[in-house]
Amino acid sequence: MEFSYGIRESYTEVKADGRLNMVAAPKLREFVSDVISGGSTRIVVNFEKIAFMDSSGLGALIGCLKAARQAGGDLRIAAVQPQVKMVLQLTSMDKVLTAYPTAEEAFSNE
Amino acid sequence: MSEVIASRSFRGLAAEDAIEAIHNDLESLWLDVPFVQDMDQMTFTTAVIESASNIVQHAEPAGREPVELGVDVTVRPALLQGRVSAYHAKPPFGTMEPATPGEDAESGRGLALIQALVTTVSFERQDGTNIWVLSRTSSQS
Repeated sequence: MEFSYGIRESYTEVKADGRLNMVAAPKLREFVSDVISGGSTRIVVNFEKIAFMDSSGLGALIGCLKAARQAGGDLRIAAVQPQVKMVLQLTSMDKVLTAYPTAEEAFSNE
Repeated sequence: MSEVIASRSFRGLAAEDAIEAIHNDLESLWLDVPFVQDMDQMTFTTAVIESASNIVQHAEPAGREPVELGVDVTVRPALLQGRVSAYHAKPPFGTMEPATPGEDAESGRGLALIQALVTTVSFERQDGTNIWVLSRTSSQS
C-alpha cells in the first residue's frame, strides 16, 4: 500500500492506494503519526482508492483518530468504498468514524 | 451436495506475504464465477482474510516446524465454503468467542466481524491443525 499526503487550506489529506489489511495497518499508523508530528492535526483519510479494509486496518484507523485527537485535532474519512462501508457498519464504527462524500466536505462545516 | 464449480487452494508459511497471495487468489476466483453477487464476494473475501490474518497474527508453533497457513475455498451454485487452517499450531489460547471491545479499542473485533459476514462459522482442531470452517449461502438462492 502506497501513502501520500497533501496540505490543504484547513486540513491535511492522507491518500492511500491498495488494501488496508494487517500488512498495511502498521504502515498507516506510522505514516499518520509522522504527519501529526509534522504539525498537521486535522486529517482526512481519503478512501477513494482503498477497496478493502479488515479489522486490523480499522484498528489502525482508530489509533490514528486517537492520535489526532490527543494532538488537539481530529481525523475524518472520505470517499469510502462499499467494502469499507460494510466493515464500518458491521462493527458499528460508522458512528465513530463518520464518512464524508469527499475530502473537501469533511471539515467544511467548521 | 451440488457440484463444485470453482475452487482455490493456498498453502504456505503463516506470514504477511500469504495474506496478499490469498487475497489475489480470491480475486481471480471471483472472475471464474461472475454469477456470485458482489455482496457475497465482498463478505466472503473479508471473512477469509480475517481468519487467515488471525492465524498469521496469533497462531504459535506446536513444535519445531513453523506454522503453515492453508486456505481452501469452494464455490457451489448457492454456497461459498472456506476452510482456513493453521498447520503445526498449538491449540488456540483461550476461548474462540467474539469480544465486544469499546469503540476506542484498536483490536479485538475480528471474530465478531467474521460471525457477521458468513452464514455459519465453526472452529475445529484435527490432528494438530486448527481449522476455521466458513460458509455463506449465496444471496441468489
